[in-house]
Amino acid sequence: MEPPEHDTTSPLRLRTGGGETDTARQTPAKAKAPRSWRGRDYGLVILAAPAVILLVIFSYGPMAGLVVAFQDFNVADGVFGSPWAGFKNFEFFFTSGNAGRIMWNTLFLNVLFLAATLGAGVVLALMLNEIRGRVTKRFFQSVIFVPYFVSPIVVSIFLQAFLAGPGGRGGLVNDFLGMFALPELSWYTEPGPWPWILTVVKVWQLGGYMSVIFLAAITSIPEEVYEAGVIDGASRAQMAFRITVPLLKPTAAILLVLGVGRIFYGDFGTIYAIVGDNGTLFATTDVIDTYVFRALRTFGDFGTTAAIGLFQSVVGFVLVVIATLVQRRYARETSIL
Amino acid sequence: MTATETAPIRTTPPSAAAARPHDARRRRRHRPEPFTIASYLGVGAFGLVCLIPFWMVIAGSLTAESVLSQRGYSFWPDPFSVDAYATIFAGSRVWLSYGATIFITVVGTAIAVASTSGIAWVIARGLPWLSKPLAVFTYIPMLFTGGLVPMYILITQVLQLRNSWFAVILPLVIAPFLVFVQVSFFRGTPQEILDAARIDGAGELRVFFQIVLPLSKPVIAVIALFYAVTFWNEWFHALLFISEPAKYPLQLVLQNLITSVANAADLGTTTAAPVYAIRLAMTVITIGPILLAYPFAQRYFVKGLTLGASKG
Amino acid sequence: MAQLIDAAGLSLPISRRGFLAGTGGLLAAATLAACAPGSGGQSAGTSYGLLLPGDVPAQWDRVRAAVNAKLKADLGFEFKPEFINWTNYGSQSLLKFTAQENFQTALSARWLNIAQLIESGALQPLDDALASGKYTNLTATVDQSAFDANRWPDGSVYGVPAVNSAARIHHLIARGDLADKHAPGGIETFDQLEKFWYDVVQKEGLPGYVNRNSPFDVLGAPTGALYAQGWETPDLLPLYFSSDSLLFVPAKDAATTGSADAVPFWEHEPYLESLHRVRKYYEDGIINADRLNADPATLKALFDGGGAATCWGISDGGDTSSHLDLLEKAVPGAGLVSLLPFRDGLSAKPNQTFQADNLVVVNAGAANADAAMQLLDWVSIKENHDLLQYGEEGTDWKAVGDDAYEPIGDYANFPGFALSWRIPLERTYSRMTESEATWFDWSKKYENFTLDPFASFIPDLAAIETEHAQITAAVTEFGNPLFAGAVPVEEGLDKLKKAVDQAGLAKVQEELNKQADAYLSSK
Repeated sequence: MEPPEHDTTSPLRLRTGGGETDTARQTPAKAKAPRSWRGRDYGLVILAAPAVILLVIFSYGPMAGLVVAFQDFNVADGVFGSPWAGFKNFEFFFTSGNAGRIMWNTLFLNVLFLAATLGAGVVLALMLNEIRGRVTKRFFQSVIFVPYFVSPIVVSIFLQAFLAGPGGRGGLVNDFLGMFALPELSWYTEPGPWPWILTVVKVWQLGGYMSVIFLAAITSIPEEVYEAGVIDGASRAQMAFRITVPLLKPTAAILLVLGVGRIFYGDFGTIYAIVGDNGTLFATTDVIDTYVFRALRTFGDFGTTAAIGLFQSVVGFVLVVIATLVQRRYARETSIL
Repeated sequence: MTATETAPIRTTPPSAAAARPHDARRRRRHRPEPFTIASYLGVGAFGLVCLIPFWMVIAGSLTAESVLSQRGYSFWPDPFSVDAYATIFAGSRVWLSYGATIFITVVGTAIAVASTSGIAWVIARGLPWLSKPLAVFTYIPMLFTGGLVPMYILITQVLQLRNSWFAVILPLVIAPFLVFVQVSFFRGTPQEILDAARIDGAGELRVFFQIVLPLSKPVIAVIALFYAVTFWNEWFHALLFISEPAKYPLQLVLQNLITSVANAADLGTTTAAPVYAIRLAMTVITIGPILLAYPFAQRYFVKGLTLGASKG
Repeated sequence: MAQLIDAAGLSLPISRRGFLAGTGGLLAAATLAACAPGSGGQSAGTSYGLLLPGDVPAQWDRVRAAVNAKLKADLGFEFKPEFINWTNYGSQSLLKFTAQENFQTALSARWLNIAQLIESGALQPLDDALASGKYTNLTATVDQSAFDANRWPDGSVYGVPAVNSAARIHHLIARGDLADKHAPGGIETFDQLEKFWYDVVQKEGLPGYVNRNSPFDVLGAPTGALYAQGWETPDLLPLYFSSDSLLFVPAKDAATTGSADAVPFWEHEPYLESLHRVRKYYEDGIINADRLNADPATLKALFDGGGAATCWGISDGGDTSSHLDLLEKAVPGAGLVSLLPFRDGLSAKPNQTFQADNLVVVNAGAANADAAMQLLDWVSIKENHDLLQYGEEGTDWKAVGDDAYEPIGDYANFPGFALSWRIPLERTYSRMTESEATWFDWSKKYENFTLDPFASFIPDLAAIETEHAQITAAVTEFGNPLFAGAVPVEEGLDKLKKAVDQAGLAKVQEELNKQADAYLSSK
């Protein structure tokens, strides 16, 4: 059996169909014609209203505060009373000689994290799907979700125990290397391996989380889809990769687009907890958020912080628009925006 | 067989499908395939990688501070010590804070799932002049945030929510990320069922409550789980808005405990608390309850997961 | 169709009612929001808020009730402190000032955000109140020289110094048992200290000194645990816009010539030598190798667990109380000794600015600044001070002699440094080691120190904010590894110089010198 091909005929095709004539096919709600809403009832308004109200109050309301990005922020004058400063708050980051490297690190690490966690999520979900036995399956599902709860501080403690040992000398990994007469590495002063170390940490932390999303997607696949495969005597691997994986594409695409929007936001929580102020690792690990945090922590300047945040948002916005256009062009059916 | 536009679902009439997969499964049970074996090994290995550090957290939290500080980890609680738990549970604070956390988690998750499902369905409906704008409207907060100061002023001065748990809950109840995860699932809702219901004269609300929601249990379980975890772990909004110690949620109490113990090193104030073990014990204490709740959510999306197995 | 729906299991508990329960909750939230009281129920009388850093002390409700009962009787109002954990204290207090919140006092300092607060006019100047003669308990317990040393460049006093000694001297806390074993003759000079470290590393396999990264360990101000010169001639205090940024060294004769002539720290020979020394210690295993990434709690735990020979200390009376109990538990028979290896011992007279690390500031936006001053005065009375800091006598503590206390209850860790620390009123921990008691007493007396020529010089960063932030970033990246000994000195210094040059060193240095010269001429 081949993966289902996409049907790009008119979304209005089913307009007049109705349930009875079309039971053999299922069409996603998206393709539904607008007819049913207009003039019928305000149910949809009722459904959307709570979320819209909450978003207006708690997300859009505070956005007025973005004006501080253009202000010389003053504690006593507050958000709306501070004098205007034009683009002065943006200078700080862009005139620093490091802006290029830091933006590159942010981008590179996020791409790594996104690809690795999505990949791990899909693979884990596929594998979990093979596990038989109610208890075994639940056990493994719970186990791989656990790292999500371990705080970055604890992760950092263990990493130090593994890589550096007490007082910064030795450590499990070095002991292990020593057993094979390999030279010890001073991990915490070597920037090279850190993007990969951080990626491993992210996969460890988020692999289970992501797999839950994909597992739910797999659950919604009706078993009939596999029927032909079963009849053809396809192997489980073939069914997983030829049938399941293509059906996971829309979910993955959405997660990807959502990730793209935040690609200029460094993963402050994880990176700062692990790298902290260790300057020897900045060459590969310093991202926009950690840089700004460090440079401004003594004189917390809301204006500059807001300016950097705005910059990150605008870049994210542009990237999302591009990603959406690309998606509309090549994979319209997975587009969300 | 006709393919569909979003492609996640294709069916034959259910009655025809019921029997054979069962046979197939039974047959396969006797000869495990390479992929199945590889899956067991892969999941087993990843599970182990997740489990060992978790075990080390538990063992470490029960190990005497002197050993921990020498090695940084512990595989076996030797010498055994419950000092860390004794420090954390000294007084009634932690017990009290469980109450706050449970309230925030339960009420927060209920509001969040309800409002997220609502808007997600409207976006998933695909009405050109309603759904797209709503999608953009929902997505923008993921990119742009107003920052700390306006949020603080909004909650404390405009809404007067200081010292209310709703100050912690309300800013977090719509996570755009989860809205879109749910949208992607709602889009897979079989169209003919919806159409059939509409022919029967069901309004939008009835379609949503009687058809869409029941069909979406796996994703609702996932969304609820993720929201619950968010609310369970939340401490920053509590730090901002809750100033009465009796109302602190668990994570804030623990966060305070850790930083005060940690900073005692800097400040030279009296303390005899085991800092290392406390951080590990705190992990255990916070993971415990939500881990117990996890299987409840799980039953919805573990159900019938086997390839080709019948849900019937 | 029914079949399909049924197959999906309509009978499962996600129902419309469940959904409505959720949205109902939303309505309830709105209702609740409408009736939520502003800041907790105050049944009777006025209650004033204040910001304190740290965690809520154990038994706080009981002690607070006792304090409030007395406050109410004496002054007619109550207080209601809000505790904010340390990690977030800086940003949260700033936020509360920004939101014009109603609280009376807060902790601030140069290392927090006092400059920003003063510049914005968020703090109440205290000069008039102090001169009014109404707050005699306060003025009697805080030395006038302390107020003068903390005068802001605009000439006003913006905070009450909450310190328990005249000056805080960076020093070392050593394991007494190890010192007896490896340095039986005592450790009175830096050479003896260094020898002790090497002996411990070789014979015990323990690191000599553990601390997290700190520029002041290496570039003393005027002393630093690893800064040999500081123990010989403790007369140099570097100048800086902020302590995590670049440190500058003023000319030795600045006071007489009136020209500061400050240069970056690497041009000062003893500092450069200290960098080389630290590099050597790093390579020889004398200091911990994870200074760059270990957090203070971890290192404290390492020392308290018996994993190091010395650790960092500061003369605020906390050497013994913060380490002894845990150490004894981990290493039976272990002891502590506070080491200040001044060549000249107690007569070293190190330079000091007397600038307080902790200032209690009064919120200009507060409803009642008089009440704030009354409170600060009230906690300067011994009885009240003891109640607040040590709890109820007999329940929480008992007096040992005139000026020591022994904790007998759970109440501990009230952040007195954010409200009530007064040098003459502080009781010391009853188990304080003899060596710490000696040095702590010494550090309480202003006459044991030399007033630095730049004592109340506080540079204003406004003109070079951007350059300063970038230099700070460069110091974190390239300076800290040098201070930790993690990179070869020449190589690391080259990188640092290049980065700070690019970030605008010339401009910052010029600005600093301009302001420093102006300060000198104003004296």
